[in-house]
Amino acid sequence: MNTTVDVLRAAQRYFEDVEVGESIPSVAFPITVYRLVMEAGANRDFNSIHHNSDYARSTGAPDMYANTLFLLGMWERALREWIGCAGTIRALRGFRMRRFNTVGDTTRVVGKVVATRRDGSTGVVVLEVHSENSTGITVGPGQVEVTLPLRSA
Amino acid sequence: MTEPTRPAAETAVETGDDWRAAWDDMVAAVGTDFSDGKTAYGPDTIERGTLRRYLEPLEFDCPLHYDAEVARAFGYPDVIVPYTAALSWSIPAMWSPGDPPLFDDHRRDAQPARSPINDQGERPGPRTTGFFATDIELDFVRPLVLGERVGRRGNRLMSCTPKETAVGRGAFLTWESELVDKHGEVVARMRTGTYAYVPRPAERTAPAGAQEVR
Repeated sequence: MNTTVDVLRAAQRYFEDVEVGESIPSVAFPITVYRLVMEAGANRDFNSIHHNSDYARSTGAPDMYANTLFLLGMWERALREWIGCAGTIRALRGFRMRRFNTVGDTTRVVGKVVATRRDGSTGVVVLEVHSENSTGITVGPGQVEVTLPLRSA
Repeated sequence: MTEPTRPAAETAVETGDDWRAAWDDMVAAVGTDFSDGKTAYGPDTIERGTLRRYLEPLEFDCPLHYDAEVARAFGYPDVIVPYTAALSWSIPAMWSPGDPPLFDDHRRDAQPARSPINDQGERPGPRTTGFFATDIELDFVRPLVLGERVGRRGNRLMSCTPKETAVGRGAFLTWESELVDKHGEVVARMRTGTYAYVPRPAERTAPAGAQEVR
């Protein structure tokens, strides 16, 4: 018996558990120079706007800021923690970067369920998700379509 | 590094002449696939180490991404990559053996001679030095698995809208492409918005909300 798998299955969220209007736990991402450098190395977006304050300012930004893959990863982590291992992500729309997620601030991912439907033996959940920091909404709000298993399946 | 000769179109943008007209050829190119028709594969297969490093700064603790036994228990052939990370493995190499030097300027903030990330591909319209992504839409067919290699197919211009913003003068561009596996099967479809621009002078640096430009 695989204890890890059993624990994950026991904690799995099912489609029938979901209610329109419910929020997913928000996840906070403090943005430091150290983290931005790690992130650039990890996702290979080495554009200097993401790790060099002087350079970022020369392009009109207030300071260095999180890159797209970092911001996408924030959403996916927040969603994965909610959908569990049996969930999948089908589509992501409206991922619009409205404000810079600058260094020295904390970006927080926030989401809530806006629609549910059955698609054969799969439960489909649509969530409205956005990122925010001390300046307000920075990314989105967009819509993410995920799937969850059915208890009845 | 020698400053490259600047095309007349860029001068028009910087000096406030008819900078919008400099984008006319790009506007006319909407609908064009700017790729060469071939799939551009990322340089590396997806390895456990690079995946582990991808998860690290995100503090992304899901065993589907590092525990093969868990991944198999949930129906996958091996550890899977986060859906949104597929783009990372499609990025071309910065430098490869036989390439000319990438770093040919010692100045502190000098940029590499080439970058696959910035807006440096062949396209009509003015040369720009400012560039950032504005929005993205993704449709996922399936997650990538360890050992796979992902490529990018197509680079079709879907829209071009010249606009002056808080950070400079340029154009919003929307591009469409597919991420494919080694068999050419689609794993994700992607529509990416970017803003390519000539930055304003430094003393007019944008406020924190300046990315809200559309």
